[in-house]
Amino acid sequence: MTRIILRALNGPGLILLTAFGVAVQTSLFGRWPLSYFQPDVVLILVLWCAFQRGFLEGGVLTFLFAEIAEIHSSVPQGTFFISYMSVYLLVRGAAQLLVIRDLSSYVTVAVCSSVFFKLANVTILQLLAPTLEVWRNMIYLLFLGAAVEGLAAFWVFRWLEQYDLRTFRAKRNGESADEEDFQLQSEGF
Amino acid sequence: MIKYLKEYRFYIILFLFLLIPVITIDTSTRAPRDYRFYDRVIVTLTAPVQITISWLFDQTVSGFQNYIYLWNTRRDNIALLDENRRLLNAIASLRESEQENIRLKKLLQFEEKFNLDSIVARVVAKDVSTDFRAIRINRGERSGVKKNMAVITNEGIVGRVLRTTAHTADVVTILDLLSAVDAIVERSRARGVVEGLTDDTCQLRYALRTDDIQIGDILVSGALGGVFPKGIPIGVVSKVERKPYGITQAVDVRPSVDFSRLEEVMVITRAGSDVFPVDPFAGGSELIMAPPVPASATKTKGAPQ
Repeated sequence: MTRIILRALNGPGLILLTAFGVAVQTSLFGRWPLSYFQPDVVLILVLWCAFQRGFLEGGVLTFLFAEIAEIHSSVPQGTFFISYMSVYLLVRGAAQLLVIRDLSSYVTVAVCSSVFFKLANVTILQLLAPTLEVWRNMIYLLFLGAAVEGLAAFWVFRWLEQYDLRTFRAKRNGESADEEDFQLQSEGF
Repeated sequence: MIKYLKEYRFYIILFLFLLIPVITIDTSTRAPRDYRFYDRVIVTLTAPVQITISWLFDQTVSGFQNYIYLWNTRRDNIALLDENRRLLNAIASLRESEQENIRLKKLLQFEEKFNLDSIVARVVAKDVSTDFRAIRINRGERSGVKKNMAVITNEGIVGRVLRTTAHTADVVTILDLLSAVDAIVERSRARGVVEGLTDDTCQLRYALRTDDIQIGDILVSGALGGVFPKGIPIGVVSKVERKPYGITQAVDVRPSVDFSRLEEVMVITRAGSDVFPVDPFAGGSELIMAPPVPASATKTKGAPQ
């Protein structure tokens, strides 16, 4: 029973964690000079959903996360919807082609996604209101932001993994290893 | 229908995922929208966190500045204290100069008032004995100071030069037991000789019992003796003791000069058109312009006759 309740609370809890993360991001990292090292918490959570959730659930959560991000931003309505959804779909597509299964690959995807997200975001903004300044500002912080994103993703993914384990959304490491072994055996290795 | 929905579920969802953002994007206004109900719920949840983090951040930064930066503050404080000390010294020095300037200005005015030529000197020492009240000034023969020259301040008579060296001179003050100055009561013109008595009191001797002398009367120098110009203040009568018998009366005088604060004095080299004699008791009597008085009145105690 507890397991079912905790599992049911996983989604709302993730939304609350996102809200908390956005609050930390906007308050703590909104100050100089930390503003230059501001990670995108929502992006990390969107990636987590892309990796660890079903297509529908992950997509819905991505919308909700984008909504939370938009609440805390003056960005034109729907911009983050498109950006985050683009990242979500792209990562899910990439996961079909590439082997993305451990933390290091997650972090690599997070770094690449950060670059893509910013490019996508600026592209949308450019379409809405063409200004050179947006590009210039984006380029200044593109790779620094990606590095920070990778660093933050390393820790946030680990915390989210623990969160999923404690809310019974993820299988225990032992069970997971057994399953992998079984899978490998069934494939003839 | 349900069968198709199940079969193309993925594509339908994908289509919706792509469609919803396009629909929601508001390209016409491009302005932040108003909060909806669920937006307000989210903001209600996140705002306290933001406020708390901001407060903590501010407190941390403030604490860092207040405590860690105290190292710099301590160093700055030491530097400022040093500077403050230097400035206080400078201020004290300036105040001293200002006071000196005021005193010298008064001396100058006094000099002009009495048409005197004088040498300004600084008191550099006082008598080694407490029974005698001589002072030493930093001007001597090289500066033109000679024996028996009158020494005054803007307040009144200080004394006369007792002896000189090349660079210093000893001055017998009117408080000294060896001093005797011809004096006139300014109001009644009664005469006498002011002699030293204590650290802050002189006595007027040889004043006749019948002379009109009252407490508060001002005494000025007479011309007898030839040392002091006439009319220089000596002091104020502070006590009068007149017995029913005898020839004289006992009169105490409080000097007009505050000897406890004496710093600069003027050595008079010339008064009016009269050049003071080097030694009035040794042949300079022709310069004495006042009428003669009994010898006892002009006698300088202890001075060579």
